Amino acid sequence: MAFKYVGRDIQRPDAIERVTGKAIFIDDIRLPHMLHAKVLRSKYAHARIVSIDTSEAESMPGVYKVITGRDREPIYYGDLIKDKTPLAVDKVRHIGDAVAVVVADTERHARRALNKIKVEYEPLPVYVDALDAMKDGAVLIHENSDKYFRVSDFYRPVPNTNIATKYEIHKGDVRQGFEDADLVLEREFNFSHMSSAAIEVHAAISLVKEDGTVEVWTTNVGPFVVRETVAEMFGIPISDVRVHVPYIGGCFGYKSDPSIEPLVAYISSFVPGYPVKLRLTREEDFTSTLIGRGIRERVKIGVTKEGKFTAFEAELYLSTGAYADTGAPVIVGAVQSSGGAYEFPNAHVVGYLVYTNTPPVGALRAYGHPEPQFALERMVDIIARELGISPMELRRKNFLKEGRRNVVGEVFKSSDGDLFKCLANVEEAIFSGEKPKEDKDYYYGRGLAALIKAPIAPPFAAKSCHIKFNVDGSVSVNMSGADVGQGLFTEVRQIAAEALKMPPEKVRVYTEIDTQFSPWEWQTVGSAFTLQGGNAIIKAANKAIRMLKETASKVLKRDIEVLEYDGEYVYDKSYPSVRVAVKDICRGYVTEDGTVIGDVVQVSADFRMPGAQRPDPKTGMGRTGVSYTMGVQGCEIRIEKKTGKVIVDKFATSLDVGKVISPSNIRGQVLGGSLMGLGEALTEGIRFDSNGKIVNANLVKYKLPTVYDIPKEHIVKFVETPDAIGPFGARGMAEHPVIGVPPAILNAIYDAIGHDFYEVPVTPEKIKDALEKGGKS
Amino acid sequence: MDRVLTLTINGVKRTIYYEGNETLLEILREKLNLTGTKFGCGYGVCGACTVVVNGEAVNSCKTAFRNLEGAEVLTIEGLAKDGKLHPIQQAFIDANAVQCGFCTPGIIMRLYALFTNNPDASEDDIMEALSHHLCRCTGYESIITAAKLARDRLMEGAKLAQQYMKK
Repeated sequence: MAFKYVGRDIQRPDAIERVTGKAIFIDDIRLPHMLHAKVLRSKYAHARIVSIDTSEAESMPGVYKVITGRDREPIYYGDLIKDKTPLAVDKVRHIGDAVAVVVADTERHARRALNKIKVEYEPLPVYVDALDAMKDGAVLIHENSDKYFRVSDFYRPVPNTNIATKYEIHKGDVRQGFEDADLVLEREFNFSHMSSAAIEVHAAISLVKEDGTVEVWTTNVGPFVVRETVAEMFGIPISDVRVHVPYIGGCFGYKSDPSIEPLVAYISSFVPGYPVKLRLTREEDFTSTLIGRGIRERVKIGVTKEGKFTAFEAELYLSTGAYADTGAPVIVGAVQSSGGAYEFPNAHVVGYLVYTNTPPVGALRAYGHPEPQFALERMVDIIARELGISPMELRRKNFLKEGRRNVVGEVFKSSDGDLFKCLANVEEAIFSGEKPKEDKDYYYGRGLAALIKAPIAPPFAAKSCHIKFNVDGSVSVNMSGADVGQGLFTEVRQIAAEALKMPPEKVRVYTEIDTQFSPWEWQTVGSAFTLQGGNAIIKAANKAIRMLKETASKVLKRDIEVLEYDGEYVYDKSYPSVRVAVKDICRGYVTEDGTVIGDVVQVSADFRMPGAQRPDPKTGMGRTGVSYTMGVQGCEIRIEKKTGKVIVDKFATSLDVGKVISPSNIRGQVLGGSLMGLGEALTEGIRFDSNGKIVNANLVKYKLPTVYDIPKEHIVKFVETPDAIGPFGARGMAEHPVIGVPPAILNAIYDAIGHDFYEVPVTPEKIKDALEKGGKS
Repeated sequence: MDRVLTLTINGVKRTIYYEGNETLLEILREKLNLTGTKFGCGYGVCGACTVVVNGEAVNSCKTAFRNLEGAEVLTIEGLAKDGKLHPIQQAFIDANAVQCGFCTPGIIMRLYALFTNNPDASEDDIMEALSHHLCRCTGYESIITAAKLARDRLMEGAKLAQQYMKK
């Protein structure tokens, strides 16, 4: 199939606003009457609140209100598990928990008053690691966790423990699988907590109006979920809450679940009629929104001497932090993706979601996938070494392909993608020449890893599209996908142009999401927009074309089947001169007797994942992914002997994306995603001290990769096996480039210095330490 | 008691009342509504707040406003003239170097100062300039490309102007 607008680059429709500083981000919004809030944060990771004295703060200049969690009957909120209140009530559960709030005329006044609030705490034992919080006799972080409302039984807690929920899958007979194995290998891994750390920090504005309706502005890619959460908190109809999403300065996961919005809405309800803004500091952005990753895993794999996997067993422990609602999908996703890009005929996996005294864990690019696939891809390399076969060969023997089933039992089709081609691309890019020989200054190593991911979304998740034909024949497209930098608006424009057969310049994509005008969607998450949103556009476009043809059929007095549409005209296929202009139909076609034919050409359509299921409560199995995207990443690195620093000389990524919609945008996703993966592998990682304090909650110590950290060369190759349901065959891919990086790098580190690391990040200090303790010298 | 100083912002002379210890970023954003300059960290690591003061790129979040009597300040809002983008802005669009765009104004202002002071900036100079900025989206490749493209176009433009003057 030949495409006209899909598969080539067009200018981002929002580019000029973004380079001129005119793009309006949340912190740029100024509303009449607006007040500012500052939040007093807990300095204890786990403590009982004995008393709060706000009297002095209340009399400070500019102060409108000082609010604590005890001012009203507590409101518990959450999407899956309602375990969180906007402000701490009796206890604080992590450093950075919200204790009290000052609302003032300016941020400065609010900050000054904040210093005058006095809080007395009674400290409790602190657990920063799931394994400690699970020990016998551990103090409960949530005493009444079994009383919290849960959306389903699926998320039930283990009573009298810190386990917020547990998810388990059984496939085949894992005991038999290990008996059939010639080699059984077991290892433990740890993926540290990370921060999404977008350059734009979280902020939100909320206005509770005198009529009881609520208006919220936020940096959140799930405005409809925010709307539902806020409505439920206040016990008002969802239709009484309006949520605006301006431009967002990067998301990477932590702006997808409600985080600060319920707090800001709650605060604003104390000053009805005033919009209240809360913009976090960079430190709060680390301590008081959502962090990511934080999974320990024990993995056991059985394999025959020929290299065929027979059994997979794993336990995953997510240190989910003080509140579990947003961590629940992470552990579920991690268990479902734990078998990675391979077939294991037998599997048993258990995931534990464990309360700890750390900031709550939520989404972070590809959440639930980098963690277990890091463990798995390291294991595959170690097994290959033990069996004496090449890591590529072992992967090829076990890759998912047509007819094979992943650990949740989903059967793969050839249209799901071709891992073998991706591997061949990476082999050629990284492994075809000779590896550089160790020299005076450097060790050299190469490594690779496979990856796989489907969206993690509830089966009801959908994207919608409104298409409106204007009277001049141009088109307005209204959707609710947030362009967080991935190029969503560009892609909508291209897909709509292709489907409507008109130049992209005639298609205008709406850029601000406003739940009052925008069609419903779940959240812009999970790399799901291309597939779901793209299909919604095509469905809507086809409906609109159908309407145009229906009217044209009456105008031209022809059967609808003989009519063709080309973007400008509807005409008779056999007699193209018998035609009517689209714009004449759109204006309302006027007949000779002065009456008008046809309906206004505006349509809406939506798309849900066909056949998506909630997992079976007993076996944990089911069609949970539906559309997977797979690939392979590899690298050639150099380790500086003097410093232990890893330098990436060459990196390669090959993904089977089904169809490339926008070549330069998709390359941007791969480069940005893999650099984020390099950060996770080598420099990032949230570090807690034993009191639960993040010791690197700033951009000085939390080291995001800079321009000096990029690979010297990055080879990106896409395989295009058309997807069975994707629009024009395309699949989602935006999160995926982060997944394979940590294991590929750690496999290369082993190749360079003969030391197995089981934890990320691997800092230069750890490498130097390993070298001194008997790696290569 | 408010204090007052006079300076030039984007070519316009402004007299501004301030409290005392405000940063330039606070004045630009909160007092003058010049919101194209962004807050990212507040301590000069991310570079999102970069503006040009007396020809040099500075982190406005770390620049005390009280020292700016008589200064010339240029922000992202002052770069495009009469609705026409500056060549650096155009290069960022052409190289698709803008993703979320939050770091973009700061980077463009840094490059403006670099190319004004050093039109023939080397790749190392460009890398050094960009190392003062964090971008979480792009992986930097497209930004490096945009910077080189802008440098080359500015040089080409300067050469053409010189030739024109000689004629």
